[in-house]
Parts: sequence; C-alpha cells; structure tokens
Amino acid sequence: MSLIDWTVLLGTLLFIVVYGVWKSRGSRNINDYFLGDNSMKWGTIGLSVMATQASAITFLSTPGLAYESGMAFVQNYFGLPIAIIIVSAVFIPIFYKLKVYTAYEFLENRFDLKTRSLGAFLFLVQRGLAAGITIYAPAIILSTMLKWDLSLTILITGVLVVIYTVSGGTKAVSLTQKYQMAVIMGGMFIAFFMIIDYLPDYLSFNNAIHIAGKMGKLEAVDFSLNPEKRYTIWTGLTGGLFLALSYFGTDQSQVQRYLTGTSVAESRLGLIFNAILKVPMQFFILFVGVMVFVFYQFVQPPLFFKQAEMEQIYSTEYRDQVEQLESAYNQNFEVKKQQLEDLVVAMDKNESEKVASLTAQVQQSDAEAKEIRGELKDLLLANDPEVETKDSDYVFLTFIMNYLPKGVIGLLLAVIFSAAMSSTSGELNALGSTTSVDFYKRLIKKEGSDKHYLIASKLLTAFWGIVAIGFALFARLLENLIEAVNILGSIFYGTILGIFLVAFFVKFVKGNAVFIAAVIAQIIVIVSFYTFEISYLWYNAIGCALVVLISMLLQLILSGVNGSSNSGHTA
Amino acid sequence: MTEPNKELKTEEKAPFFKSWKGWYLLVLGNLVFLIILFYLFTNHYS
Repeated sequence: MSLIDWTVLLGTLLFIVVYGVWKSRGSRNINDYFLGDNSMKWGTIGLSVMATQASAITFLSTPGLAYESGMAFVQNYFGLPIAIIIVSAVFIPIFYKLKVYTAYEFLENRFDLKTRSLGAFLFLVQRGLAAGITIYAPAIILSTMLKWDLSLTILITGVLVVIYTVSGGTKAVSLTQKYQMAVIMGGMFIAFFMIIDYLPDYLSFNNAIHIAGKMGKLEAVDFSLNPEKRYTIWTGLTGGLFLALSYFGTDQSQVQRYLTGTSVAESRLGLIFNAILKVPMQFFILFVGVMVFVFYQFVQPPLFFKQAEMEQIYSTEYRDQVEQLESAYNQNFEVKKQQLEDLVVAMDKNESEKVASLTAQVQQSDAEAKEIRGELKDLLLANDPEVETKDSDYVFLTFIMNYLPKGVIGLLLAVIFSAAMSSTSGELNALGSTTSVDFYKRLIKKEGSDKHYLIASKLLTAFWGIVAIGFALFARLLENLIEAVNILGSIFYGTILGIFLVAFFVKFVKGNAVFIAAVIAQIIVIVSFYTFEISYLWYNAIGCALVVLISMLLQLILSGVNGSSNSGHTA
Repeated sequence: MTEPNKELKTEEKAPFFKSWKGWYLLVLGNLVFLIILFYLFTNHYS
C-alpha cells in the first residue's frame, strides 16, 4: 500500500474518531450517555440505523455474492419495509410512552422482572458474541489479503471503537456513524464509477448490463415456488419480514438508535428513511458486484481469489494439477472473451439470431469455467479437508487492491473499517446499556447518583469492548466460528421475538405464562437443533411460534386453575 | 437516576401527510414500485 493510501485510510478513521470524541464530550448522566439526551433528528437516526446494520462484511461479501450468484439476494430485504411499518406503528409509541432506555424494560412493564431479565440475557449472549465476529470477520480477510498481522488489525479496529464508544456513548456512536455512512457510500459510488470506466471502450454501459443479464446475474425477482431456491420473492416477504421484525423491534443495538430521537415522529421518520432506502442500497451494492463480474469477463481473473490458499497448494504434490487447471482456465477465458466481443458486435447490429447463438456459447464457456474452478476446489479439499473453498468474500477486495488507483485504495479500505467500526460501536453501546439498565441498576444497585451510573455505564461498555476484542482474537482458534455465531443467533432470536409479539399482540397472556413458554420454547429449540437436520434459519420461526402458542395455552390453563389471572401487568 | 426526557412528544402529527398511514402507504408503494422495477429490469436484460 502506498503512502497516499495510508494517509487517506488513517486520516479518515482518525478524523471520525476524534470528531466523535470531541463532539460528544461531557455526558452528564445516563440519559445523555445512552439516549443522547433525546436530541437526534430523523436524518441522524436514519443513518445511524443504517450504519449499525451494515457491517464490513456487507461491503466485502455482498459484491462477491453478486459476482458468484447474481442479484437474487436483494429479495431478502423485501420484508424489511413491512417490518419497519409494524415497528413504527406499534413498537415505537409504546417504547416512548414508557420512557424506556432498553427494549427489555418494556417486558417488565408488560409482564414481570423475570421475563425482562430473560429477554435481556438472551440478547447479551447473542449480541456479545456477534460483536466479536463483527471485528474478526473483516480483520481475517484484510490480514490475509494485505498480509497484515491479524491480532494487530483486530486490536486497532477494536481499540478505536472502544475509545469513542466508551467516552461519548450514544451521541458519539450516532455522530460518527453519520460520517462513516458518508465515507461508505462515497467510497462505493467511486468504486462503481471506476469499474464502469475500466470496462473496454467498445462495451457500452447498456451492453455491459445486457451481458450480465445473459450470463444469469440479473435475476433480481424470482416468483418461483420451488422451496429449494434460497432467494425468492416469497422467502424475502416472509423470512425477511420475520428477521427484520426481530432485528428492528427487539434488538437493543437497533432500538437504542431510534430511541435517541427528540420525538416519536423523528424516530419514525428515521426508520422510514431506512424502509425507503435500504432495498435500493442493497441493490446498488449487489450491482457493483455484478459490474465487477462483467469487468472480469474482459480482464483475466485469478482461478481462485484466496491467494494465500493458492500459494499454499503450490508447495504441495498437487502443483502440476493446479498448473494444468490454471492453463485450462486461462484458455477458457480467452475463448469466452472472444465470444463476448462477438456478442457485443452482434448486439450493436441487432442481429438477434447471432446474439442468441453467441449467448448460448458464452453460457457454455461460463459453465466450463465453473467446472474448472470446481476441480480446483476439489484439489484444495484433497490437500486440506478443513479448507474454506468459498472465495467470494475476496473478490471485491482483490479488485480494489489490483485495479483501483492510489488514494482510492485507501478510501475503500476506510469504507471497510468504517463499516466494521460503525456496527461494532452500535453493538457495544447496546450491550453497555442493557447490562447497566436491565441488570446493574435494576438488580444490583437500585439507588445511585447520576455520576455513579454514568461511570458504571462507561465501565460496562468498556467491559463489552474488551470481551468483543478478546473473542475476536480467540476466534481464529475455532473452526466455522461465524456460522456458529449465526446458529446461536437463530436459536435465541426466535424466542426473543416471540416474547415481544406476545407482549404487543396477545393481551390476555401474562408474565408467568410467557416466561415458562419462553423457557420451554428455548429448550425445545436447543434439543431440536441437536436432533433434527433442518436449516438453522428455521429456528427463528420455530422459537417464535412456540413461545406464542405455548404461552397462550398456558395462560388458558393457568387462568382456569386460578380462576383469575396470574401475576403481571398489562401495558 | 435521571429519567429519560419527560418532555418527549409521544403523539405527534405526521409531517406532509394527514396521518402516519400516509407515510406507511408511501413505504408500501415504494416497495411495490421497486419490486415491479426489478421485475422489469430482470426481464429486459435476461
């Protein structure tokens, strides 16, 4: 990396950190520290919500995903606007009316203390581990690609986040996220226009999109009812709605963002900002990946994007076979490139028969290229059965490092670090507030001064920062850790959402019934996870449905036994 | 301990629309528009 890149990268990151610390200095109490003294306008809330959701992996993996399998992933976000309408109409007014710091305080008001503590505990377990992965996942990719020391990358990212999150609380998180989003979107737009600029002169932008379409990369909407298809409009509108409702309605890292508003209206508008822009934003990030794909149809791509794995297998007995595959891949590329050049000419001349024939040839060549890559992956696995053969996370970063000019590389790395820091800061802030408000203040020290709680909140936020960094440093020792954390999230998310849905929509269910139902549902989900072989994503729905159904059943039984309602309050 | 700001307005008129339903319909309309747009985009370029 050049001096200009280092200057842009460090200058951007340090400016944001120093600005955040300076602008948010002097928190007086925990209302100021956790809710930013309710001073945020909708624009800041909207960007803060967006920045918390968009982690570094969003900007590393999403373009790679589009490179590999096209635009279909955008459908996953179709349920998000509907979820935001529900949160805006139902959740926000109640959170404001009860003047809560955390979503889980509402559970005590609606049910009882034990249900609040259970909800908060499940959140801490899930989000505490996820915060470590938010730091670890981009660090492992950056350190592999740039040959940086992994531990140092983790420490620098983590320590910078902890400094401003601990010192300035929510206000620092929201203010820095605003600038981090500006860097992220600015960097992505620059990358997009540079990719378009790098396409061959004879290839118009319109023809570039046509080529992507003919190679099956632009299927953004799929009405198929085939359950084996991972992304369809139906999975997006159902599963996507469910996940977004859990995330925006019950995850404190998001709830805390919109509770900083000066009014219900500001919070609602901040969320509506996301409801309107999130889908086009994801479409754009995927489209950047598709354009990288088109770029690599005219410029030779590497056979495998994880260069470290290639270097490793070159030193083994498989070297000759890998060289043969590389030679075949390069030949395939030249043939396909010629076919594409002919296709562009045919499209310009409107020769429909020739276009159809050449499209079929290009698709055939593309299938052969995939076969060659598949054979390489088999060799990689034969050499090391534990190796990760998915290289799509490295596609966009490879393009950035190999083709973007000095300065822009630094900016794009700043995009990745900004995204990592913005989501981590939101998570640490939420972990700190939940521990302070739902456990320390509620269960350990009920009476204390503002100063006492402020210091305790800062220490608890710092504690979670250290846990996240420690977990990120330890993560490399565990296999498939990211998937493990996703599984853990799916196992707990359903139960939490179930508790909240009962709280909001099933008014006759009271505290004991929902608490017992949540414990039973959680046990069933965990036992099912070890017993049945179904996709772990289903446990979100199963956990939620179990809590709702069991709590209703239990409430009916308990009401019958007692002749009246059991303990708990109704909101 | 300081309570969250008690002056917060919990019932507030929706800006630009008569009620919040207007905003929610806008969000739904935007979603439907995007899905149709993506569908046309998919068909046109494939």
